[in-house]
Order: sequence, then structure tokens, then C-alpha cells
Amino acid sequence: MRRKMLTRRDFLKVASVAPLAGALLPALKGAAAGPEGKVRVVLVRDPNAVDAAGTPSAAVIQRMLDDAVMALVGEKDPVKAWQTMIRPDDIVGIKTNGWGKLPTPTQVEQAIKRRVMDAGVAEGMLSIDDRGVLRNPIFQNATALINARPARVHQWAGMGSCLKNYIQFVPRPSDYHGDSCADLATIWSLPHVKGKTRLNILVMLTPLFYAPGTIQYDKQYVWSYKGLIVSRDPVAADATGLRVLLAKGREHFGQEQPPRMSPHHIFLADTRHHLGVSGEDRIELIKLGWTEGILI
Amino acid sequence: MSPQNRPAAPRMAAFIPKTVGPWLSEADHVYDAETIFQYIDGAGEVYRSYNMKLVVSRRFHKDGRPDIVVDLFDMGASEDAFGAFTHDLDGENAGIGQGSNYKAGLLSFWKDRYFGSVFAEEETKDAKDAVLELGSRIAAAIPKEGPKPKLLSYLPAEGLDAGRVAYFHNYTVLNYHFFVADVDILLLEQTAAALLAPYATAGGKSTLLLVRYPDAAKAGRAFESFSKNYMPDSKRPGIVRTEDKRWTASAKAGDIVIVVFNADSDQFAMSQLASVQELIAAADKK
Repeated sequence: MRRKMLTRRDFLKVASVAPLAGALLPALKGAAAGPEGKVRVVLVRDPNAVDAAGTPSAAVIQRMLDDAVMALVGEKDPVKAWQTMIRPDDIVGIKTNGWGKLPTPTQVEQAIKRRVMDAGVAEGMLSIDDRGVLRNPIFQNATALINARPARVHQWAGMGSCLKNYIQFVPRPSDYHGDSCADLATIWSLPHVKGKTRLNILVMLTPLFYAPGTIQYDKQYVWSYKGLIVSRDPVAADATGLRVLLAKGREHFGQEQPPRMSPHHIFLADTRHHLGVSGEDRIELIKLGWTEGILI
Repeated sequence: MSPQNRPAAPRMAAFIPKTVGPWLSEADHVYDAETIFQYIDGAGEVYRSYNMKLVVSRRFHKDGRPDIVVDLFDMGASEDAFGAFTHDLDGENAGIGQGSNYKAGLLSFWKDRYFGSVFAEEETKDAKDAVLELGSRIAAAIPKEGPKPKLLSYLPAEGLDAGRVAYFHNYTVLNYHFFVADVDILLLEQTAAALLAPYATAGGKSTLLLVRYPDAAKAGRAFESFSKNYMPDSKRPGIVRTEDKRWTASAKAGDIVIVVFNADSDQFAMSQLASVQELIAAADKK
């Protein structure tokens, strides 16, 4: 089936002013209701999640993750909640993100590791890795993956997303950079990835909401949101995180300020690749904890 | 490739000072178009889209002061160094090299086939001074200047915001500056050279796009593709009134396709096209 092309004129039909692609693509492409009901996404926030310097509190992060996972799966005990996702005989790869300016915090990695082990997995049967996943025996033999990365605006993909975090599962990531990484979702269908992801954690502790030009990271566009977004569906997690980033841009600049590169890989993961759902009306968003400055 | 044109990390490294004020440099890191992602993640695609050959990265450190990072890119051709520079034109002119911008701790500049970025991880008075000094010394060490894209000479002068002209080769970067379509309806395909130029007009802002293709036949196919996909409802050939009550017009001149977006009148759109065609014809006669 030939997909419909979108031009500037399609956007002009909706609104005669810029900005265009980034802000309007969700409305145009991701809003259709699906037949299967809603996908659950949990947003958990805590005012003490990070200190004034942006350093996460391990204890608070553990509690936030526990609360989010319990809400996600409908269990009242964190270990039981994790046991609905992880079996003791699983081999577990925790796909993290080591980008120097905004890595997955160690406190998040350790909180995940603790609960994976609490679910019965031996320490030798799990590994935390990013760029080395293709060479890592645990990831090569993994039966379960946990995906955890910080949210940020991205120079080429529009958003550093849960979807994009799996680009290290291919030998030549640049093969997936075409059209602003439009088809990242196809990586999730590769044999060593498909069906293995048990949980996606979009780290929203100190997200980056704007990145002009070739500058990838500028402290003035980072803020302490102090949140985690958790879902089994990477597309729904990313679409929710993107809403927060767009809202922050709007608040900061006083007008729409979408990523200069369109993050359409998130919506195409839904509409083209059917990996998950991106439309707000198809997502059951559960909000836990601190609500000040929640933005969505 | 002649030795003079061959990318050479040691030659580039020699352009970069080893110290600046109290800051001392650390070991260099060198990346090419394949390994760039080890250094700057997907943003490496921006530099690859300008055909980068090599980048030499050098970090400067001084205890108690913000680190400063120099990235000096060999883009292979001065036109592409200019293009990389135009990817982000925000900031104040720092008067360095053949073009420069400084904002919030970041200096960008270009000279000859080199694009330079000097970034202080935190902007302080001392760090800003050091960033600007580094940029000046690097630019001074690059022995010669290089030409800008010839396409620039086809831009009508009246109303042109010359400091905001972008040069590029693919539609992803086109869309970064000015969204046209989510597929490559202009057939840029990384083989074309394009300019996007903003104009101030009596009725607001207009945008002029010039694309030079490898040959006239390819330009013809691109012109047809754009006409078919962007203005299928045009009542006159090559011009259409868009949904925001403004005008888009296009024409082909040899191996170049010209598009005027957002004109406030059909007369302005057509006169802008004619002006470009005259400039192209005049250049061809030289």
C-alpha cells in the first residue's frame, strides 16, 4: 500500500502558521482510535528525585520505579510486580544509554538490576550495556530486555527516545538514520530483539527540551522534571515523553517550539510499523506523585 | 586525490593551539565519517550530510574552570564547510575566519575546507575569551580561504537576509530549516546542492529555494516531481495559491530548479523567479 505523502500544504490546511511538522504530526498521524483498547503508561514524579545539582537519589528512584511498575501491572508488591514480567530463568539485558552529557543514571540502572534479581534472576544472568550489546554474551542470549534511557531532543531523530535506544542492536546504526530515523521501529522486529522487551523506562529526571543547531546539549535547556515514564509499549512511552518536552518548550519560549528535526519515528512506529500506539486518546496515562509543573 | 587535498589529521591538529591561557590540551581524538557516531551520536549525520572527511577533537582542561572542546572538521570542500556553518546561524558575528557565530559558550566558524566548533562547557568571562582566542588562532593557522557556493551569486539582493542563507544537500536538512514534505519530492538525494534564502517583503517573509542538480535532465525530473506533488491543483503552470492565501511558484533554468515559497502576491513570486533566471543567464554569459 502506498503511504500518503505529507507536504507543507497539508499542514497549512490545519494551521497557517509555523511550526509545522514536529507539532502537528502527532495530531495528523497518531490520533486514530484502535480496536484493542488503551495502552497503559505510568508517569511518576517525586520532588526529591534529584538534588539541586541534578544528582538522583537512589532511594527515591527505587521507590518511584517500584510505584510505577506496581501501577503498570496492577500489583501491590514491587517484587511480585516484577515477577509478572521477569522469570527466574530469564537472561536479562538492561539496555541503558551511555551518552556522556545525559546518560541513564546509575541509580536507575541499579534500581532495575535490584528488582530483576529480586524476581529471581542470578546476577551472572543479567547485564547492563549500551554500545556493547552486540558483543555482550548476555545480550546475545537474552530472553528478556529492559529498556531505560533519558529523554532528550535529538539533533537527527527529533527525540532521543526508547525506540531510538535500540539502535545499538544493529551493526551499522547509520543504516537507520534515513529520513530522521523514520523507521527505527523496524529494529524491534529483528530476531535478537523481537518480543523480548518487558519494560520501557523513559527517564525524565533532567530532560533536554531544546537543542538548536549542532549543539547537542546545553544546560540552559535542561530542567529538573524529576519523573520517570514507564510502559510496556515503547511508542506510548515516547509519545508521552514527547508531549512533556513539547509542553516545556512551549512554556519556556512562550510559543510552540518543536524539535527542529521532526520526531516522526515515534508516530511512524505506530502508523507504519504497528509496534505500539502514539495517539493520546489510545493511552491510559496514570500519574503518580508530585504534580507541580507536570505539564501534561 | 592530491596530497594537498588528502584529509590529514596531523596537519589539522597543527592548526589547533596546544594551550590557551591557563588551559592545557589533552590527547586528540580523530573520527571519520564512519566513526563520527562514536563521538557525537546521531548528530553526526548533520556533518555527514555535508560530506565530512575527518574531525580532530581536542579538549582543554584547567582545574576549577570549565573544559573547552575544539572540534575541527575537514569537510573536503570549502562549499561544504560553509554549508556546515549555515546549519546553525544563531549568535553574534565573532569576526573569525570566513564566517563565524558566537552564542552561549559556543563559537562556530569556517575557513577554506574547515568548519570549526569551539565550545566551553560553561560560559564564563574567561572561558568566552579563551573560546574566541582559540577560534582566532585556528582560523589564522589555516593558510588560505576557499570559495563559497556559486549558487549564492544567483540570489537577488533586494530583501535578502544574507546572514540566514542555508546551504545543504538533502531533504532532511531542508526540512530542518523549512519543512517541504516528508519525502524527497525535490529529488535532492545528497547529489544536489541547494540554497534556502529568506527574504523580507512588503507583505511579510518569503523563502527562496535554489537547487542545482548534476545535470539538466535530473533537474527536469525534480521540477516535474515538485510540480506534481506540491502544486497538483495549480490553475496556472508553475504557480499556486496555497492554503494560507500566499503563493508558491517554481521554474527550471538548465540544471537548476527555483522555488519561491510564501510570496505575498503572485506578482512578487513571478518577479523573484525572473530575477533568479536573469542572474543565472548573466553568469552563464561570463
